[in-house]
Amino acid sequence: MTGPTVRVHVGDAVVARVAARRARRVPGVVTLRADLAQALLGLADSVLGHDRAGAIPADGVQAAVHGGRAEVSVTLVTRLGYNCRDVAQAVQRTVGEEVRTYTGLDVVVRVTVAEVLLD
Amino acid sequence: MALTPPPATPVGGTAPVDDGAPLLACGRDAARVWDRAAAGEDPDAHERACPHCTAAAADALGLGALAHRMADEPLEPPPSVLDRVMVAVRSELRPHDVITLPSPHGQARLSRAAAAAVLRHTVDRMGGLRARSCRIEQVDDTLAAVEEAPDSQRHAVDVRITVTARFGVDLASVTARVRQMVATAGEQALGVPVRRVDIEVADLFDADLFDTDLFDTDPFDTGVPGNTR
Repeated sequence: MTGPTVRVHVGDAVVARVAARRARRVPGVVTLRADLAQALLGLADSVLGHDRAGAIPADGVQAAVHGGRAEVSVTLVTRLGYNCRDVAQAVQRTVGEEVRTYTGLDVVVRVTVAEVLLD
Repeated sequence: MALTPPPATPVGGTAPVDDGAPLLACGRDAARVWDRAAAGEDPDAHERACPHCTAAAADALGLGALAHRMADEPLEPPPSVLDRVMVAVRSELRPHDVITLPSPHGQARLSRAAAAAVLRHTVDRMGGLRARSCRIEQVDDTLAAVEEAPDSQRHAVDVRITVTARFGVDLASVTARVRQMVATAGEQALGVPVRRVDIEVADLFDADLFDTDLFDTDPFDTGVPGNTR
């Protein structure tokens, strides 16, 4: 007796939200930086009164799943006092692990440090 | 009925000859009554007496008042809108806008402008100097250098920084310190080795023109020979 064949496809948004949630908690990450499209969508939502209650924000993260492989791109802001290289590597490592564990996908994480707060 | 159609338009209220224009129950063209009321013309004898025309005119005036009131309200977007868009626009980095950070886990990049801001900040915090421009070129950018670069110099950067100095500071010693501070900041704050620092002293400024407290409280300032003169 064999059950039906089940194939699960994990969507881009799932990967993006998992990655964003994890990246935000890496020490040295002040915030994630939405790209232009995300910023405009966010504004449209706030103007139109859309309330995405419960949705984990994925601003600042782009994700694409191709077969069993996910490409994640994180844009972040850090703060003087943290080493940009170390923050970037920590995000790559922890986000990669989290997405891999959660989705079973092979993950490559690209990180861009867009700004360093100087205060 | 005492109809007084304006001479320019034959439609008036005499007959429903117009192509499907809605007429009021009294036979007048609703659009004309509406337009006349909106334009502020006084109602004629019929319009004053006719309940249909009066109602149409009142509608026109009511809507006109409402529309004007809304149009007169200053349009005020939330103050955050421009900020949020501009921040996003500035974050759209093209390949030349970033330097590469060393990483075993895949591509890691740092905004060139952010890196320059960190280095300028480092120089500004030293007493007696103000950073002006700061250009960062990565050794990797020049293709020939990649192959022969030793591992420790991978991703190394060359920094060209333009400064203005407070009149009286000892340029030789202060620039030596700039070199050292920039190299340290590159390694500790950015995470890239600094291969070369070019310092151009472009101008002098007079301390009195600036807030002198800023210099007095600066922990870096004590070592500057110019300060003791």
